Amino acid sequence: MEGMRYSPRFPVLKSPSFTGRLHDARTATAVGRLLGTALTVCFVTGLVSHVLQHPPAVFANALPSRPAWGYRVTQGLHVASGIAAIPLLLVKLWTVYPRLFVRPPVRSVPHALERLSVAVLVASALFELFSGLFNTAQWYPWPFSFVPVHFAVGWLLFGSLLLHVAVKYPQITAYWRRRSAGTAALPAEDAVDRRALLVATGAAVGAVTLTTAGQSFTPLAGLDLLAPRHPGHGEQGLPVNRTAARAGITAQALRGWRLYVGGPQPYELTLDELRAMPQREVTLPIACVEGWSKSARWTGVCVRDLLDRAGAPEGALVRVTSLQQHGAYRVMIMPHTYARDPLTLLALRLNGEVLSPDHGFPARIIAPNRPGVLQTKWVARMEAL
Amino acid sequence: MRVARVVLGVCGVAFIAVGVWVLGRGAEDPGQVARWVVGPLIVHDAVMAPLTLLVGLVVARLPARRAVRGGLLVAASLTAVACPVLFRPGPLPNPSVLPLSYARNWLLALGLVAATTLVAALAGARARRRDRTGRK
Repeated sequence: MEGMRYSPRFPVLKSPSFTGRLHDARTATAVGRLLGTALTVCFVTGLVSHVLQHPPAVFANALPSRPAWGYRVTQGLHVASGIAAIPLLLVKLWTVYPRLFVRPPVRSVPHALERLSVAVLVASALFELFSGLFNTAQWYPWPFSFVPVHFAVGWLLFGSLLLHVAVKYPQITAYWRRRSAGTAALPAEDAVDRRALLVATGAAVGAVTLTTAGQSFTPLAGLDLLAPRHPGHGEQGLPVNRTAARAGITAQALRGWRLYVGGPQPYELTLDELRAMPQREVTLPIACVEGWSKSARWTGVCVRDLLDRAGAPEGALVRVTSLQQHGAYRVMIMPHTYARDPLTLLALRLNGEVLSPDHGFPARIIAPNRPGVLQTKWVARMEAL
Repeated sequence: MRVARVVLGVCGVAFIAVGVWVLGRGAEDPGQVARWVVGPLIVHDAVMAPLTLLVGLVVARLPARRAVRGGLLVAASLTAVACPVLFRPGPLPNPSVLPLSYARNWLLALGLVAATTLVAALAGARARRRDRTGRK
């Protein structure tokens, strides 16, 4: 870890000396490659999530609706790899900490640039893991929106990681294996201690993973001690993000509810008329951007049947509008790939019961491979564009 | 190899440029973003790392230093991950957010780590004793 804290105007403090063991390149390489793998998984799955949630214009009507479990896996991995990276990052920084005090602080322009890039790498890594972890608990101590800043700093992190690997390539190869030339030149008596540290690091990764992964990987629900969500908690067997009360849904707003379906032949349906249409049952997960997910049984009307009845063209984007008063996702745009998928429902029932108000009564969208915030609740209008 | 390094480095710089561009294009206050991105770096380098090294000075002198270091590392990682669920202030949006008894769960996890550390330390001491007597 190197920063750019050198300023020629101030007297430089006497550099500390480090006599402790394992602040060496072999330990840094062994931990660094695990950390690099975790951060790469985190970056790629983060990009997937961003594209699915805020699609760029080229993908706006072409996102894949399959595999149905896709977003559940990628977003579960995003949060799990970020959590696994926390102990890896702390051990990596501990290993290279003495490099912060390297003398002279700046040897040349390339050296200064390298130290600057390492400062960007460390700062962005700490920020991404800290802000992502806090977001999973819906705790926002910073005065800006989480999503755009977490997204932008993710690019800084992955870019400075690639640059770091390029700069350190000779050292990484020299210390890659236990028998590599660089490793062989290190004091042999450190090997046992190093192995113990790597085992402990693996145990730390295992511990934080096992105690949190149950929020999305339900077979581990019994070990879910520290995750912000638990699959066993939530109305009708499913956790909730935005409740009816917080969305501003009142009994008054629902009185005389009718679904409006727009297209070349627009029409309206009452709840009874919707219930009289052919119903389909599907098993699909709600997968939240915060990492938790759970599968559920949904019953309702195929969205494509509703669109066909309005004479909507096959390739049309669909705009879905909720009755909710608050929140950024009142209006949701659905690519035709989802709207035409036979698994995509306007659901009326959840796990065999009529939807509860917090799950979107009277009707909500459930589609495969989509972030939870786009599974619009309290649907009032569906229009082919 | 040289080509791979150059390609990797150029991609890295390009990705950093994308990040800066996305940040600059956004509506967020750059001063606040800088404060919150640099803040954790300063807290880590100036507070957390020196404290860890001080603890390390003590641990290095203990008879079962490897087991103790491992136990402390696992406990510290669990604590770091539990911080937001343990200390989140303010009312919760609904009962399915943070539904567990996190303080109890965290203590339970640390208890398990302490027990495992003790077993590992005893096993290590026993193995060392056997080593010594075997060599005599």
